Amino acid sequence: MDRMVPQSWADQMAEQGDNDLDEGLASDLPPPEEIIDGDTKKIITYRYNEEGKKVKTVSYYRIERRQVSKAIAMRKSWKKFGNAKRDPPGPNPSNTSIVSDDIFMQFISNRDDDQLDASRDSNLDSKSQALGNRSIVKCRYCEQDHWTSKCPYKDKFEQLSILKEKDNAAAQASVEPKLEDGKKTGKYVPPGMREGGNKRGDVMTSSKSKDEPNTIRVTNLPEEIMDSDIRELFLPFGRVVRIFLAKDKYTGQSKGFAFVSFEKREDAANAIKAVNGFGYANLILNVEWAKPSNN
Amino acid sequence: MRPIVLHGHERPITKIRYNKDGDLLFSASKDNIPNVWYSINGERLGTFDGHSGAIWSIDCNWDSTKVVTGGADNSLRLWDLQTGKEIANIVTNSPVRTVTFSYSGKLVFYTTDSVMKFPSELIVFDTTIGEHLTGNDHVARFPSGAQKPTAALWGELDRSLITGHVNGQITKWDLRKPHDKLNVVEEHKKQINDMQYNVDQTMFITASMDNTAKLFDANSLELLKVYKTERPVNSAAISPIRDHVVLGGGQEAMQVTTTSAREGKFEARFFHLVFEEEFARVKGHFGPINSVAFHPDGKSYSSGGEDGLVRIQTFDPPYYEFKFEY
Repeated sequence: MDRMVPQSWADQMAEQGDNDLDEGLASDLPPPEEIIDGDTKKIITYRYNEEGKKVKTVSYYRIERRQVSKAIAMRKSWKKFGNAKRDPPGPNPSNTSIVSDDIFMQFISNRDDDQLDASRDSNLDSKSQALGNRSIVKCRYCEQDHWTSKCPYKDKFEQLSILKEKDNAAAQASVEPKLEDGKKTGKYVPPGMREGGNKRGDVMTSSKSKDEPNTIRVTNLPEEIMDSDIRELFLPFGRVVRIFLAKDKYTGQSKGFAFVSFEKREDAANAIKAVNGFGYANLILNVEWAKPSNN
Repeated sequence: MRPIVLHGHERPITKIRYNKDGDLLFSASKDNIPNVWYSINGERLGTFDGHSGAIWSIDCNWDSTKVVTGGADNSLRLWDLQTGKEIANIVTNSPVRTVTFSYSGKLVFYTTDSVMKFPSELIVFDTTIGEHLTGNDHVARFPSGAQKPTAALWGELDRSLITGHVNGQITKWDLRKPHDKLNVVEEHKKQINDMQYNVDQTMFITASMDNTAKLFDANSLELLKVYKTERPVNSAAISPIRDHVVLGGGQEAMQVTTTSAREGKFEARFFHLVFEEEFARVKGHFGPINSVAFHPDGKSYSSGGEDGLVRIQTFDPPYYEFKFEY
């Protein structure tokens, strides 16, 4: 085995040590195989790992044939020179590598506006339609759209009413914590006041999207964070309208929290879901709906 | 896309260039050995050994037979591309900053820095004349004035020269009457780092330290477009097939270590040629990009960075599907 690269002393010693160990074993290794099958090349090599176990490495290569001009074809057959003189044919892995993970071109979309508008319109439409279809009046017993007192099944349900009451209570309990989550942004409303009917959730979100922009609050940010980093962090979730990063007046360092407004509320919700609790620069981010300012 | 990364250099890349067919990619760096690679798979064809200083510029003639390099070791060398042998070594008074083959590949135009008592100069020599290859004779040689050129191009029909200067001015020179400047424009406020032609050489794009890249008419030097960024632009290139330009930049190398890594934006940025608006970015380098170049077929581009790596990026379908809406 001839080595053309001058090695460091440490490497040489290590090599020698390896050789001493492998002396007896090396002969057991099957010779490397090269199988060409159509447009794929398979190279099988064997070696011993640190534990002395035999390792078989199979690498697959795709052979590409391209039609190029004569001059290019000729140049491709040139002998390598200079420091590349002794490189084997094909790329030398020591100075050519292919990035293992995909890198994407990040498009900065300015064209999404129209689409967004369109989708928002359709959203509104569907919402109003839903409202229109569902009547406001609902029977407590049979859940059809008439007043409870006029329910034709009144008598039948009367007996079950006690049972029903219990069920309702249970349902109430299960709804409660959910509401608490969504409520974080709003002022505290006592549960008694929340009994605004069955479309409580609906009312909440629509009122919010009206008064309050679709803003989320990010806390526990590292001090050295920049606006651009936050943009990068939240860009995947949708179009970011505004970023406000609280900074110290004198040092310009971040105070550790920021507000990010999204164009769409769903995007903001997704961002909260995904980024809340996300580890960023050794800190765990806390993301929630922004509380409306008091003034 | 999965970029091919070329680790052929130990120091920052200063310049990368494709040959005319685009099958070869040349890279020059601050280490002393320029490299040439096959652009298709990143295989290294060879190295040009001989320089003893940073290489500032490299160029290849149109039929890919000769390569010329100029460096900080006060020399300009002409190489045979097939064998990597040195054909000529022209010793200069001061570092060679830019070097370009003329369109016909016969003449070479280079500029030198001003050092101590030597003024910076523009020199044109003929590669077919033996006397010229010794450095004793030349086609034209004239001082550039107080501001040294930092980027240079041949003008149309190999009859004029265009230089971008350290103070941001662009000068057009007539090769036949070198002492009368044809045109001077002062659109940039700071050093011009790079100038590159579009595919038919009717326009060129400049990259400047003043955070902008600008598009000029090659004939009249009329300012056509401005591409604004918020950091110095080191290099800019125009796509040969689409109305796109790519800018490479970042903060100055000397400031890299004193700023947060996450702040330093080392992406290549794509702008629309006409609307001057940025539409895409590509990440990758761990330092400022010093040189960018489009493959002559427009399907890939390469960038060389302060991190000493050259990356060949081949565009994915989304790039071709992307339509700039207006």
